Amino acid sequence: MTEPAVLVENIRKRYRDTIAVDDVSFRIGHGEVLGVLGTNGAGKSTTVEIIAGLRAPDSGTVRVLGLDPRRDRKAVRHLLGVQLQEARLHDALTVSELVEMYRSFYPDPRPADEVIEMVELGGKRDTRFESLSGGQQQRLSIALALIGRPKVVILDELTTGLDPRARRRIWGAIESLTEETVILVSHAMDEVERLCDRVVLLDAGRVVAEGTPAEVTARAGTSTLEEAFVAITGHDLDSVEDEEDAA
Amino acid sequence: MSTNTPALRPLAMLVRGEAKMVIRDTAGLVIPVALPLLIMVMNASSASDEEIVGGRTALDIFVLPIVFAIVIATIGIINMPSFLTIYRKTGILRRLAVTPISPMTVLGAQVIVSLVQALLGLAIAFTVAAVAFDARLPIDLVPALGIVALSIAAMYALGMVVAALAPTPNAAIAIGLITFFTIGALGGMFGGPDTLPEVIDRIGAVLPFGAAVDGLSAAWAGEPVPWRCWVSLGATSVLGAGIAAATFRWDR
Repeated sequence: MTEPAVLVENIRKRYRDTIAVDDVSFRIGHGEVLGVLGTNGAGKSTTVEIIAGLRAPDSGTVRVLGLDPRRDRKAVRHLLGVQLQEARLHDALTVSELVEMYRSFYPDPRPADEVIEMVELGGKRDTRFESLSGGQQQRLSIALALIGRPKVVILDELTTGLDPRARRRIWGAIESLTEETVILVSHAMDEVERLCDRVVLLDAGRVVAEGTPAEVTARAGTSTLEEAFVAITGHDLDSVEDEEDAA
Repeated sequence: MSTNTPALRPLAMLVRGEAKMVIRDTAGLVIPVALPLLIMVMNASSASDEEIVGGRTALDIFVLPIVFAIVIATIGIINMPSFLTIYRKTGILRRLAVTPISPMTVLGAQVIVSLVQALLGLAIAFTVAAVAFDARLPIDLVPALGIVALSIAAMYALGMVVAALAPTPNAAIAIGLITFFTIGALGGMFGGPDTLPEVIDRIGAVLPFGAAVDGLSAAWAGEPVPWRCWVSLGATSVLGAGIAAATFRWDR
């Protein structure tokens, strides 16, 4: 088997008395879009933060394109684009200013106009971040995640809290990514069904199901991914609508 | 495309961004620039008539050192930690941490921008004093510049400790203000040392604000700067930087 784009092997992470991630393993092929699904506190954000090198796992191995995100920090940062849940940008800077600032961090960035058009913010170039709507801020975050021509993109809670129109626009932007390997953290089943080649279901820090959305649904004996999720985890979707890892 | 040295262009862009953030946050400039000006103007007309030594008036020897110390302390202890803790709370630092630039570049940009702010504040205060009240440069210019430089290092080091210890931006402002007023009051910000009990006055004189004021005052009058000023400011810089480096968190 060729080396996967992202390899996660037996990672564990514990915060004081809670185990956030308990022996999680999965691999993502090149160009694949993987959905990481789970309820509030299932360990999704911790898992992607470990992949992004923001946190060290207590044990286990992570490789991004064969590199260790903490030991080879700098090399991995060049290959990885990250949109973090609830991470804001410099409030008083405009869309163009932020795009130019983030472009300067990478050796061969995408042209500013290209990324701005990609997320349909052409009319907002001179608008400050603080004056953008939630959906526009989210789109700008995605643009900045893509700006360095990453090979692997992590998108954490892509469309949480957005209206349906804003969500469809963001989906369009993600569907235009054909080369990149994408890790999409979500608890929106429709989003995952539409965008992801494969899904990993996390519950209480463990992988409880893995496969294509169709496989997971078939194995659970249900007709939708949403029902499969409830059948597998025993959690009702209402509890899923809360912000993950809000603390 | 970008052929510049990879480390310098991001720093330049961050500095530009930070500078715009500061300029667009006009309220943040009021304390470091307007407050010292106000204090100076209130004291200047009487103090500028009273010559003490070598053509230097009370304005030069007593008022300007305090004004300078206020500019440096407010920017170092209040403004910079406030920006840094806001960046930490809102996730800006986290977001930057997943880009290829190093965290030190981010801190460096922050320090450069607030340094420019401090120097600008000092230049404005001195220009107003010189033009309106005939203030003159210190008799011993080199030690005066040394004290200014070391005071900046000390106040920023204290500011970094505030940013490292404060859990939230509001806490940072509160801790910063308390620190500033404490070392300021003990260091003669609200009146000469004669108004304080002797023990407190002695303590105040070895804290960085008092050390900055006394050092500048001596240099302005052409007297040797007391060694305790250099020691106090130097020790604060080293200790503060050490504590901050050991305890600073990039993440909430």
